[in-house]
Amino acid sequence: MAYEERNALMAADRTGVAGAQTVPPFGRSIGRDLSARVLPPLLAVASVILLWWALYLIYPRLLPSPLSTVREAIRLVSDGTFFFHMYQSLRRVFVGAVIAMFFSVGIGIYMGTVAMGERFFQPLIVLGLTIPGLMWALIAVMLFGINEFSPYFAVTVTIFPMLVINIWAGVKSLDKELMDMSHVFHFTKWMKISQVILPQLVPNIFAATRYGLGLAWKVVVVVEMFGTSNGVGYQVMKSYQVFNMEGVIAWTLTFVLAMIVIEYGLINFAEQRLTAWRPKIDVWRR
Amino acid sequence: MAELLVKDAEKWFRREDGSPFKVIDQLSFEARAGCVTVLIGPSGCGKSTLLNSIVGLEKLDRGELLFVSDGKTRERPLIGYVFQSPRLLPWKTIGANIALALKGAGVARSAWGLQIERYLKLVGLEEYVNQYPLYLSGGQRQRVGLARALAVESDIVLMDEPFASVDELTARQLRETTRGLCEQLHRTVLFVTHNLAEAAYMSDFVVTLTRRPASLDEYVSNPLPTPRRWGPEIYSFAAQLETKVTLKEEADL
Repeated sequence: MAYEERNALMAADRTGVAGAQTVPPFGRSIGRDLSARVLPPLLAVASVILLWWALYLIYPRLLPSPLSTVREAIRLVSDGTFFFHMYQSLRRVFVGAVIAMFFSVGIGIYMGTVAMGERFFQPLIVLGLTIPGLMWALIAVMLFGINEFSPYFAVTVTIFPMLVINIWAGVKSLDKELMDMSHVFHFTKWMKISQVILPQLVPNIFAATRYGLGLAWKVVVVVEMFGTSNGVGYQVMKSYQVFNMEGVIAWTLTFVLAMIVIEYGLINFAEQRLTAWRPKIDVWRR
Repeated sequence: MAELLVKDAEKWFRREDGSPFKVIDQLSFEARAGCVTVLIGPSGCGKSTLLNSIVGLEKLDRGELLFVSDGKTRERPLIGYVFQSPRLLPWKTIGANIALALKGAGVARSAWGLQIERYLKLVGLEEYVNQYPLYLSGGQRQRVGLARALAVESDIVLMDEPFASVDELTARQLRETTRGLCEQLHRTVLFVTHNLAEAAYMSDFVVTLTRRPASLDEYVSNPLPTPRRWGPEIYSFAAQLETKVTLKEEADL
């Protein structure tokens, strides 16, 4: 190859590279990105449905068909029954969780900052963690009878130790340098709590909320089965008593779907809003 | 204008086994009003302990710290502080970080906006006011820390090895900015470093400390002219300081 020719080729090569660099590499793989995100969970759900269908075809008396179950679920949603009972259950979970959150933030901060507080509450928390939510559900109904106080109490008491443990761990790992900084710049006590301590606890509070809600749904359903006259748990029990398998599964499925929407939708949204200050980290980036 | 007097300061710590040891011994010096006093000494000699005592994070076991402003002595005045690491709240924007310091300083809310703008402009970061700290470089964050310490408009500003955690080129720019602002704003600055050239460049007065337990070794007035320029005379003064610090150290051994 002649010298000039090669030179010209290299120049073309260089401009080619430079040209590629001036175009920002965004937006090329949105489709691939989306399929990589959406496809695996869809496949997971589809495989469960397929398995169910296969089992139904083999043992038709054991399981209701997915189709009739979905039809039942659609009926529940379209005539509004679902929303009424779902609202009852949600309210119970929510009230119980808020009460538990309120006390656990206080006690968690106290345990993390005062040695005597830690020594006093630690055995109680360990004890609380080992008591199953089902026990609390029973105890609550026996103590308070069939009224709204029972589910509130059961939810609060069941998730409380879980929340405290998370917040306590967060308080113990607070950044001392930032605390010193807030002291040096004469932050008031309230400024220290709201601007320095609580923001550091946000990841712990979200972890606690996820665990806590997961427990709370289960407890609430149990309380409702024998301690209330409405709510998702009560409906499941009613279907069970007339051996309506479609009803039991339809209620369970719709309930689970609603929980997923709340956990992935609401909580993830809130978490992303609250941690917008953090640059995104891609751990598996190559 | 205020000055800071350290009188017969003494501080003890406990080892792991409980036996006490002295970190600061009979230390007395003054940080003159409107001047930069640089504190140098071997590492681990108790410089940071002294700064912590000045801002009230620790208590001296003996001696006193006097904050004199306009002829009156004050208890725990507001002190601006530039830390070794920026120590910004990562969940607050640059502007909000400074605003919190202003709130702590008791500055009226209506004045925050202008003050934040003014001091961010002084450190050259005015367009970052709504940015979060983690999106800034290390040197920029340190600039924000500097802006925060100056924005509270305290009479006394402490700087604890503020450029030790950034690379040398960035540190050089930061020194220039900081020295320029000290000359412009006439705050009483107490500056801790173990970098002798930095001490020579930044200081109006240099306090050299002995090895632990720290006590006053020498009080040197910086002969170099103001405004300060980075040049060979900085290094010759630094070499002069070095003979004082290292020779004394060897004499101790």
